[in-house]
This record gives sequence, structure tokens and C-alpha cells, in this order.
Amino acid sequence: MSSIKADVIVIGSGIVGSSAAYNLAKEGRKVIVLEKDMIGNGGSCRNGGGVRISGRDPREIQLCAYAAKNIWPQLSDELGIDVEYKKSGYLFMGYEPAHKKMMQERVEVCSKYNIKMKIIEGDDIYKRFPYVSKHVTVAGWTQDDGVANPLKATLGYYIAARRLGVRYITGEEAVKIIKIKDDARQVLCASGNIYEGDAIIAAPGYFGKDLLKTVGIDVPMQKKLNEIIVTERAPKMFDHMIGGASGHYGQQTENGSFVFGSGSGRELFLFDKNEKTSTEQSPSFICNTLGIDIPFIKELKVVRTWSGWLDRCIDLVPVIGKIEEVPGLYVSIGSSGHGFGPGPAVGRVLSELACGRQSPVDISKLHYDRFDYVYKQDRYKEATVGGSFG
Amino acid sequence: MRRYNLCVIGAGPAGLSAAIEAAKTGMSVGVFDENQKAGGQLFKQIHKFFGSREHKASIRGFNIGYELLTEAKALGVDVHLDSVVIGIYDPLRITVCEDGCITNYAADNIVVATGASENTVPFEGWDLPGVLGAGAAQTMMNLHGVQPGEKIIMLGSGNVGLVVGFQLLQAGCKVEAVVDALPHVGGYGVHASKLARTGVPFYLSHSIVRAEGEDHVTGVVIAQVDSHFNFLPGTEKHFDADTVCLAVGLNPMSQLTRMAGCEMVNKGGLVPKTDKYGATTIDGLFAAGDVAGIEEASSAMITGRIAALSAAKRSGFIDEKQFEDGYNENHSSILKLRKGMFAPENRGRMDITKTDEGYPLSVSLLENGFVSDTEIRTFPGVISEEGVHPVIECTQNIPCDPCQEACRVGCIKIGEGITSLPQVNADKKCVNCGRCVAVCPGQAIFLVDEETENGFGTVTMPYEFLPLPQKGDIGVGLDRAGKAVCTAEVTDVKSRKEFDHTNLLTVKVPSEMVMKVRFYKGKEAAKHE
Amino acid sequence: MSEIMDRSKDIGEFIPRPDDDVIICRCEEITRGEIRKAVHMGLWTMTEVKRYLRCGMGLCQGQTCSKTVKVIIASELGIKPQELEECTARPPVRPIELGIFGNEVEKL
Repeated sequence: MSSIKADVIVIGSGIVGSSAAYNLAKEGRKVIVLEKDMIGNGGSCRNGGGVRISGRDPREIQLCAYAAKNIWPQLSDELGIDVEYKKSGYLFMGYEPAHKKMMQERVEVCSKYNIKMKIIEGDDIYKRFPYVSKHVTVAGWTQDDGVANPLKATLGYYIAARRLGVRYITGEEAVKIIKIKDDARQVLCASGNIYEGDAIIAAPGYFGKDLLKTVGIDVPMQKKLNEIIVTERAPKMFDHMIGGASGHYGQQTENGSFVFGSGSGRELFLFDKNEKTSTEQSPSFICNTLGIDIPFIKELKVVRTWSGWLDRCIDLVPVIGKIEEVPGLYVSIGSSGHGFGPGPAVGRVLSELACGRQSPVDISKLHYDRFDYVYKQDRYKEATVGGSFG
Repeated sequence: MRRYNLCVIGAGPAGLSAAIEAAKTGMSVGVFDENQKAGGQLFKQIHKFFGSREHKASIRGFNIGYELLTEAKALGVDVHLDSVVIGIYDPLRITVCEDGCITNYAADNIVVATGASENTVPFEGWDLPGVLGAGAAQTMMNLHGVQPGEKIIMLGSGNVGLVVGFQLLQAGCKVEAVVDALPHVGGYGVHASKLARTGVPFYLSHSIVRAEGEDHVTGVVIAQVDSHFNFLPGTEKHFDADTVCLAVGLNPMSQLTRMAGCEMVNKGGLVPKTDKYGATTIDGLFAAGDVAGIEEASSAMITGRIAALSAAKRSGFIDEKQFEDGYNENHSSILKLRKGMFAPENRGRMDITKTDEGYPLSVSLLENGFVSDTEIRTFPGVISEEGVHPVIECTQNIPCDPCQEACRVGCIKIGEGITSLPQVNADKKCVNCGRCVAVCPGQAIFLVDEETENGFGTVTMPYEFLPLPQKGDIGVGLDRAGKAVCTAEVTDVKSRKEFDHTNLLTVKVPSEMVMKVRFYKGKEAAKHE
Repeated sequence: MSEIMDRSKDIGEFIPRPDDDVIICRCEEITRGEIRKAVHMGLWTMTEVKRYLRCGMGLCQGQTCSKTVKVIIASELGIKPQELEECTARPPVRPIELGIFGNEVEKL
């Protein structure tokens, strides 16, 4: 069967895939993006929109810092679409001494990378953030963090890439990567269509696990359901991201509605389906915990909830980079629930690698073969309490 | 978790009927409705229903609602009002918001009977205050006692538009016009006639170009359309108006069934695919009433009962034979309703020209909303005889027969099947009791005496407006087209409890006018037109 | 999504219409023209248009406008409205105060 050819085949139209496609198209490469569903219908259009550098595993901090410094502030102008990015800060709320200890650890990690996170306690919190309840006894504030609109950013990259001539094909599910001799060259889809390119960039989300196994790459991940609520529009209360040690995270968007996500903690045990279903437990859990921390929000009406799959990698950071043992293949997978913020940078990194150049950011610790031997596994703590970040 | 054998979502005609039927088989039933009053659309229907006795014909909608609710409660059904079912979850669980909190309930079976919402038409200016759904206007008037506006344009001539149009008149509003893009009146001709004879003009093959106004509607421009619904230039007509009611169809509220994962099909909107027993593609989940396909309240009650029987059989509360008997009884009942030119399969057909019996349909009724003087004489309900006799201006095959039972001396006969046209039997002597006039849900029956004194006769008509005229009042008689044709003197006003708020107004008019005058207006009211 | 769509397929130019500034989604004040332009930018499904423009995200969650939005998108694509997917149905089907949503009470 003859294949449809391009310079680069990208699998996945989310923020990473579309950012990669856009960057490649800017330098004149011919790109085809294969999307099994509709544009950005995975995590990219379902997350809370945080562009957060703090509270991250050191292995991926530089990626996020690079995105926050070099891409996000200019992105709206670049794409010609307002992605609503603001470097408005991040307030992380805690309730007990253990949380303060965790925040201190984060402060230390941040300072190594020049990110200023500071801890505030007691009355200092309520003076500066009057809507926070007394239940919150300690908080971490990071000015360098920010928020954006995941829908506008993801679809914005798609619109801009398409404008530059990138060919997107939706409803086309990649099921096998085919090597010709040593090189990964072709992508076989469920339809029977075959696409071929000098490079293949796979940013497929959790369900790309089986796809990567067709060329012998097995990333240890599980899928975890996360749910998220959105309220009616309301007058502006704050413009930064907030999160709580109870697990909720979110923002007040440009249009005034509040978006907050979390997990009740039970999803791994209750769900065995592939559909992104809603549960009757997580939304109430989010509402309950959020209402305790910022009580004013209890009056606002929730208009919708939705859910999505986290591709939760075993060590809670993604696999990003060139797959040396399968030349021609470049991957981003397993972002574990915090892939949106660094997403535009990951796309740029993969596009640079696919063009034979170096990554502008050090991604060596996110290497795909760090799982080969159990002894290689660095022991990193869970990034947060409550299990929401992955 | 609290568990019911059957959870019913929606306490409208379908939901309550399902609850009643299920409770009769011994099932524990919980009904959940987001409104403060049970009855769904019934609680604001102030007109008398069609159908037959088994379909609660000639009973006002809100009374049907009360009857169903009373019966349900008497059978031990838990009716949760002000309770919103916010989601259906796997496996057959619902989350309900009631009393300021949320509670989860489990169900062996669920019947979704959530009804439908109104369609909209986005013409220029449709987002101005004053543009609202006809159903919304009905809720405002009949539930909250608020006049939706003073000068109304009604878009849509289906039953909703016609029935609400009449209720707007009863609420003291002025209906400036009924507009419909189709070339024929969509609803029952008798509903259109009630409007036309008060003077409301019909503009078929017309649609709204725009609603005008700065911060609320002050005027409406309509224009004629061709068969592709494109406006014909030069046909614009302007109306002063402050309100536009949209009666352009209903959209099933099937979100809960979609959430549950039912396979959906398109039937005037997205509905869950159901078999003839009301079962969706999810085991244990059933759908009834408008949410399963837009019809009428009378059919909703039947589909509700059928769904309940299916659930009862599934859970072993009735056996196969009981189920078959129950199903067959309900099925034949609904077939009686699904006949004639208004049957669901005939919806939208423009090519029906004769009644089932072979009488030519009144073209004037379809195109203008009233039967013409020449056409009216051709129907079996319209005869001429000496002395007072009923004149039945029911000229289409509508499933309806209360007039037959109302007459105790046998003057009125409906043929085979309740959609047959009623006939007046000249052999029987009418006793002028007026029951037929009061009972007809279409207000299409009149008692006529062609010669009571020299040169004069009388017409007795159904009258449901306030203030009621008094005996001795002198006003004008209007013909079927709403045109004033003669002076009319009120000789009698009868208001009896058994007439259920349909007053009988008798007017004296010149003999040659008795077959024309079908409405009365006081001199003052007529002057202001 | 089982149907394969090549988003580079030519669906024709965006041609302005006199009714482009009629508001279609009243909750979020999105006009007909904005919806039509979004289709020409490559957004070919109800969900993509909704996410980009916010039509259908207001208090009524598309109850009022979604039938009309479907017709508009389908018309730009030259397909029948029934061929377009419906946005995912999600709880709560009616807006509910966050404080109430977070107040779970067991009733036996």
C-alpha cells in the first residue's frame, strides 16, 4: 500500500503536537498531524490552565521555566490569538505543619533554579489574600508562576499551524509505528492508511502507550481520571492560580468563571473504562474542599463538570526526547497531569530534535530509558499531598 | 444508599403516569422533579384536553395534573419536588440536589421523563427583551399571573402557538398576528378558529425579518417567504408590538440519557433510541413522554404507563401475561390518538386535501385560520333545522369525542373511531342544555336557533373571557374571520359548575346572521380595534 | 469520532452575510459571523467551536443556541446538521451552587 508522505508525521494534535507542528512549519517543513479524535480533545483542552514552575520535580523545572520565559509571554502575538497568559502568580494553600515542611522543600528546589517562592503564614495570608479562610494556616506564593487558557492556546496553535500549511487529519488513529530497517518511518492507522516521514513525533497522551510498544518502547504509566468543575461568570476576585493541599487547583479565567480540578482519590479503583466519564464523587469533593478554603465561591453556581485522563508515569514526570534506539522517533508522553504549562516548550524541543538540532533545554533526566533497570530509578517523592498532581 | 425499585425523573404526565402504573404493581417508586409543582407542562395548561374519556378529554390540563399527583401519592409514591436530578451515573444511580444538599439514590430501574424545551429562531433583534418562548409566556401568565406584554406577535401556528395565543387573549393581551413560514396552519383548525373569530389575523407563508427596538421590542417586521423560506422583496409588513412569542417546535431534554450512555437518534431533536416498550439501549433505563419523541400530553401518559410496565416486568413485579395485557390495552389507546391528519406520521404533510370520510378540507381554514361561509355548510356537524340545534364546526379528523357523550338525547354522533367527524342528527330533538357547547375542547360547538322571533335568531357560543357580558348588553357579532357583521344583544349568560368555567353566551342577531356570528364583543371593546 | 476529516480540504472562502452580527449564543454574546469565521479557521466540530468561542458555555449550557449553532457550522461545511456530533452531556444538568454541590448528605 502506498504511503502518504511528508517531512514529519506528528501523532496527536494537543498542545505538544500542535506546538511541534507549528514550529516545524515555520521553517518550511511539510507536516502531517494525525489525530484520532478531534483537535486537542485529550488533556490539552481539559486541564486547569496552570503555567506553574514551582512545586515541580527538578527534572522538569527547566522545561517549564523556559516556556514561562521564552514562549508564553509572546505567544498571543506570535499566534495572532489571545491565549490569555498572565504571569500572575500561584498561591498554594496548606493547613498543617506537614504542609509547611513540603513547601519549604519546594522553596529550596525553586531557589536552585532562580524561581522565587516564599512562604507566608497566619495573618499575612489574610491581609494579602482576604478571600482565604482561616482554615489555611500556611501558604506558598510564587510570583513567577501564571495561568493561561488551555482551549485558546491549544486551538490557537492548531489554527496557526494550519494557516502555515500543516495538514491535520482527524479521525485517523495511529496504531502502529513501522520501521524500515533501523529507522522509524511509517505510521499505520486503523483506517489502513499509512503515513511516512523522515521523522515521527509522537505526543499521543496515555493511549499512545500501545502505539509505542509496537516499536518496543514501553513507558510505565497508568491512566487516572481527573475531574474539573466550572462556575458561572463572576466579578473578578483574583487573577492568579491557586491550589490547595487538599488537592484542588485552578483559576478564575478571563471571562470570570472559576475552573477547579482535582480527584477524589478513588478513581484508580473505581474506573476501568476508556470513556472519559463523570463520577458522582469527585465534583462534590472539589466543591467541598474548595468551599472550605475560599468560602465566597460557595454562592456561585457550577454550570458544568468534565473529566479527563492523566497519563500518570511511574515517577510522575514525562518521557520527552529522541528515542536513540529507534532513529527517527521523538516522543512526549506521561506528563502526569502537569503537561500544559511546559507544553509549548516541549513542542519546540521536539521540533528542534526532529530537525537534527539540540534541545534548547536540558531534558536529559526525562530520557526514555531511565526505566530500563530498577536500580536506575531515582527515588523522588510525590510532588504533592493528595495525589492531584499526577 | 437509598434504593427504589423505580426512579422516575420528571413529574409531568409521562412521569406521574409511570409512577402510578409502577406503584400499582407493588414497586417502590421515587419521582424527582425540579419544579415546585408537579405536573410538568400540565400545570400551566388551562385549556380542556382532546381525546376520549380514557385520555381525560375535556378536563383542563392543570386538573389532570392534580388528579395524577393525588393518585400517585395515594399509592405511596415518594414525590420529591424542588429536586433536581443533576446526573445519572453508572450503574443506574442518580444524584439529586434537594434541600440545599446533594444525595445519591440507587435504582433498580429508571424512567427518564424530562420532557422538552423550546426551540428558538435567531432573526435580527431576537435577543431584545420581549422575545420569549410561547411556553415561557404561558408560564408567566398561568402560573405567575403576569402579562407577558401588551401587543404580541406569535410566531408559529402549531398547537402551542394557537393555544398560547388564545390564552394571551384571555390574559388581556392583544395578539396582533399569528405568523408561520409554512403555507398551512400547523395545529388543529379549531384552535385557529378560536383566534380568528376574535379578529386575530393569520399570515401564513410569512416569517419575521426583524424585531425592532433599542432596549426592548417596539415593533416587528414580517415578510412573505417562498417555498425555500427566502424572503420575497417588497412584501414587508410592520407591526407595533412589544412582545414576540416563539412557538417553533420543541427540543427533547435528553441530556440525562446521553450522559448515561444511551444510543441516540434524531427525532425532532436528539432522543434516546427506544423500542416500543420504552426501553433504551441501557438495560434498566427507560424513556417516556416528550423526551422520547415530541407528541402530546395524552400520548405521554400512555408511554409513561408502558415504560412502567416494562420496568415492572424486568424486575419481576408482573409476569409476561400481565405485561402483554397491560401493553396491549395502552397500545390500542395510543393508536386511537395517532390517527388522522395530525398523527405523528402525517406531520408536515401538505398534500392532505380530504378528511378520512372524503369531505374536502377547508382551504380557508388551512390558509387563513377560519372556515369560509360557503365551506362550512359541507360538513356533517353543520345542518339546518327548525328550533334550537347544535352546529358543530369541527371539520378535521382530530382524535376527540366528548361531544357525543355530552348530549343526553342523542343529537350528536361520532362515527367509527374518535377521529371521525361529529354528525348532528336532525331526527333527535335538542333540549338546549348547552352541555355540548361547554364540553367541546375546541370551542367549536354552537347552539343555533334560526328564527326565535320575527327576523331574529339566537346563537349560543362558548365564552371564556372576563369581564363576562351581562344580559341586556348590546355589542357586535363577529363572523369566523373576526369581522363585525351586525349588532348583537346578549340575551342569556349561563355559568354552571358542570361547565367548568366555559360560560355559555347567547346573543340575538338577525336571522340571516345566525350562520355567520361566532363571537361577541362589547361595543367599547369593538370600538378600540 | 470515527469519520476521517482532512482539515486542509477546501470548504470555500468566508463570504460575509448581512446577518453576521446577529447574536446566536445569548449567554456569551457570540454572533453568527464569529461562528462562521471559526469554521473557516479550521474548527469543524461543535466541541471545537464551543471551546474556542465559548458559545454554549454560559448558564444555559447550549440549551438555547446549540441547535442553531449546529445548523450554522453544518451550512459552512456543506453537510447536514445531523452529521455533526453533539457536545458531551455532563452533570450537572442544571446549574447548582458550589456550596450545595459540596454538601453531600446521605438519606436512607
